[in-house]
Amino acid sequence: MKISLNWLKEYVPNIKKNNIFTEELTSLGLEVSSIVKTKKDTIIDIDMTPNRADCLSIIGIARDISPIYKKKISLPKYIKFVKSKENIFSNIDKKISPSYSVLVIKSIDNSVATPLFIKERLEACGLKKINFIVDVLNYVMLENGQPMHAFDGQKFTGNINVRYAKKNEKLNALDGQSYALTTDTPVISDDEKPQAIAGVIGSEDSSVSVKTKSIIIESAYFTPNIIRKSSKFFRLQTDSSYRFERGVDPLLNEYSLGRVLTILKEYTDIGNYFFNQSSASKIAKHIDKSILINPDLFESSLGIKITSSFIVQTLKYLGFNPEKKKARLKITVPSHRFDIAIPEDLVEEVARMYGYNNFTPTLSSNSINNIGNTSDKTNDYSDSLVARGYNEVISFSFIPKGDQDNHILRPKIISLMNPISEDKAELRGSMVNSILNTCSYNFSRKNLNLRIFESGKTYIKHSDKGVIEENIFAGAISGVNSESNLKNDQDKLSFFDLKGDLLSVLPNLSFETYAGINYLSKTCQAVIKQNNKIVGYCGEPDKSLYVQYSIKNTIFYFELMIDKIVGAEDIKYKKISIFPKIKRDLTILVDDNILANDITDAVERKSFNYMINIKISDIFYNKAEFGMGKKSMTIEFIFQDKLSTLTDNQINDEMTKIMSLLKNKHEAIIRT
Amino acid sequence: MPKNYTSLISELREKLKECKSPHDVANIKAHYLGKAGIVTNEFGKLKDSGLEERKELGKSLNILKNQTQELITLELNNIQKAKENGNFVDVTLPGKNISMGSRHPISITINKITSILSSYGFASVSGIEIEDEFHNFEALNIPDTHPARDMHDTFYVSDNKLLRTHTSSVQIRSMLSNKAPLKIMTPGKVYRCDSDPTHSPMFHQIEGLYVDKNVNFCHLKGVLINFIKEFFGKDMEIRFRPSYFPFTEPSAELDIKFKGKWLEVLGCGMVHPNVLSNVKINTKQYSGFAFGLGVERLAMLKYDIVDLRMFYENDISFLSQFKGLK
Repeated sequence: MKISLNWLKEYVPNIKKNNIFTEELTSLGLEVSSIVKTKKDTIIDIDMTPNRADCLSIIGIARDISPIYKKKISLPKYIKFVKSKENIFSNIDKKISPSYSVLVIKSIDNSVATPLFIKERLEACGLKKINFIVDVLNYVMLENGQPMHAFDGQKFTGNINVRYAKKNEKLNALDGQSYALTTDTPVISDDEKPQAIAGVIGSEDSSVSVKTKSIIIESAYFTPNIIRKSSKFFRLQTDSSYRFERGVDPLLNEYSLGRVLTILKEYTDIGNYFFNQSSASKIAKHIDKSILINPDLFESSLGIKITSSFIVQTLKYLGFNPEKKKARLKITVPSHRFDIAIPEDLVEEVARMYGYNNFTPTLSSNSINNIGNTSDKTNDYSDSLVARGYNEVISFSFIPKGDQDNHILRPKIISLMNPISEDKAELRGSMVNSILNTCSYNFSRKNLNLRIFESGKTYIKHSDKGVIEENIFAGAISGVNSESNLKNDQDKLSFFDLKGDLLSVLPNLSFETYAGINYLSKTCQAVIKQNNKIVGYCGEPDKSLYVQYSIKNTIFYFELMIDKIVGAEDIKYKKISIFPKIKRDLTILVDDNILANDITDAVERKSFNYMINIKISDIFYNKAEFGMGKKSMTIEFIFQDKLSTLTDNQINDEMTKIMSLLKNKHEAIIRT
Repeated sequence: MPKNYTSLISELREKLKECKSPHDVANIKAHYLGKAGIVTNEFGKLKDSGLEERKELGKSLNILKNQTQELITLELNNIQKAKENGNFVDVTLPGKNISMGSRHPISITINKITSILSSYGFASVSGIEIEDEFHNFEALNIPDTHPARDMHDTFYVSDNKLLRTHTSSVQIRSMLSNKAPLKIMTPGKVYRCDSDPTHSPMFHQIEGLYVDKNVNFCHLKGVLINFIKEFFGKDMEIRFRPSYFPFTEPSAELDIKFKGKWLEVLGCGMVHPNVLSNVKINTKQYSGFAFGLGVERLAMLKYDIVDLRMFYENDISFLSQFKGLK
């Protein structure tokens, strides 16, 4: 909110220099976002927090700084009303407006010019000049925070109603828009039709112009929630609705009309007038609100002792009325402080006047049982991949509408009801979109050699659980092993680089051929298992995704379901043998559709004596020699005994058994 | 031995001295011992001499040949040895298989923050991102009609399901399941319907919550002032100013002075009694403080990043600048 410093000085004359005053306001919670010097004035823009409706006026701010300047604030002079015999109220819904006042002025000349000081102050506070009457109403609103509205008396048929709109009622509003009202819309109407959306905006028809000859000025307290709902519904925020929905002092409406009348009378000719007010008994609640507080709370909550005289003085300046009640304080809350409800609210009042920066920082020594996760798997895996050349990426959880239709069923996709844009309309159901999008972006930036990973969530609709959020650790590689290498030393990354990287992070993963994931290619796809449980997938993306992301470079992708992965178990030392290890190679010819796993699994499952390790060390094809569909595999075995040096015969016996197993099981032909 | 042979040997010694490579030595070898070499030619002269003479000459020739061979081999060995000892390596050629990637600056910042906070006893807790209104708003003293909901432009996925606007929902869940006392921090992604150069619809937050007996505002200041000092690695000019959050009372904002300007870095306050009551914690026995900070904001200050969007574009050239940080 913009305020004029000159105006504020009418209430607090000895305000300090701009830079010091800025600090003072900020230290009270009235954060200054800018301060601009003009020819005659200084304009201070304050970021108001939503709880401080009482500060949306010059007097409100003056009151809040009054404890610093030790200056009691008094309201400007006004004309008091007497009870009138005339009545313009027909039906006032007290739920909508617990306190509703009007001033009817039967004849007035609105062709006069707005006084210069009013014009200047409106301008300083960012309001446009409209016409004399409207300008005066706005001026008083800026002065004390009470929004008011004037209807042209000649355009207003009959009496005033405060009610909910009827079906099919409309309002052509001051902003030039036509609003279709609903039965939830609170309105001010005459005998015929709505003339305003209560507290939000008036109608064009009954608006006041320079030709206006008589007026009805409304000054009310509207129930904040009701105004908020209707302002939100019409997406319409006005100076008036902004204040009403935060809360306007319910005891201020009569005074404000008196204040308006004082100014009007000074500058134009005024005929007969009368004042009407409708007040709910509930309004009394705001007048008599008081809080009982144990003075110890100030110290126990703030951590230092604040003298009771400081507390009492401060609260008095702010309009509270503190009284001693035995050991406690009974503090009456002024009607403009909507935000004060509990003792802690008063603690804050005292604390901000004392100055947050005047509290001594201390460290507590209480000890607490730790309930969180002590180890962070994802963080460990991330660090391991980084050491192997991966860059961590973080993408939006949102992806464009339609991007995942190829691989996720529509009913499972979670869409935002109010997306910020079409390209952030859905939540990702799989990480593959995020990862490929990042690859595509980097390829377009000529970053052709990629090793990336991301740890994040995927989101899927589930018929029973509603929503499933899953923690996924995913990534991709593309290009060459290390672009800084000499050309001769550069190798194109393959599926086996990816597999090797994953095994370096989690040595007990196993990989099996698979074809169940529709966003991965059928010919290069693996299911990743740990202890025989599925924990992830990897392989080359399906062609459709290459097309979707306009990717021409080959990519290998992986994803791990992080919550299904078991971290390293406690390791127990096993005695190591002091006898020599003996290596044997075996080369066999097998059918091409026999996988490496088939061979090693077959041997491992049988557990041969002394064999401590087995691996495939070579594989090659030679159509001329082996024929179509055959391949040569070299298997390396390591034998070792715990008790003695193995003899050739002992090993030969085992090798014979292994060879016959492979012959029988996989029709292997022994080549060496 | 004939005189001319002795001079041949000394001549050879001189020539070998000038050799720089095995190739040079090989040339000399050919020159002396090759098919048309000097020594070979001398052998050719044998058939022209008499028997006795031939015997003498043959002896001398053999000595000559052996000496020549010995000298050449010696020189070859010397050259070989020199090469081995002083093998020159061009150390400026590219290193091989440099494999060092990088953590994302957001992760680095989160790790830094959580490691500092964990040294103060805060335990890390995470939670769901698609929340309901109770855990994201109501339990935090933000009823439907509250203007504070404007501060949280919320993404909805259904009438009651929304993307959490802060990680405070995790605090609610933790307090409901663990009761007081507790001291937790909640890092994670949060979402708000807001997008411009200084706001991202998705960003990261870490909130801290400490509920125990006799927790007061000075404790809150103690933790945060120490935290800021440790995070930036030096004393920073800090100020606390009153602010407003429905879930804390009193509420404060912490600003730090950065390049001459005050910047808001985190919001904090004493946990509002209504929040504690909502999670069935006895407010007569317990009090607490809470704070929430934006990870992006701190990362931008720490690494001098000016455009928030850099974090989510994931350009390798950007990411690689954070090599070596964890």
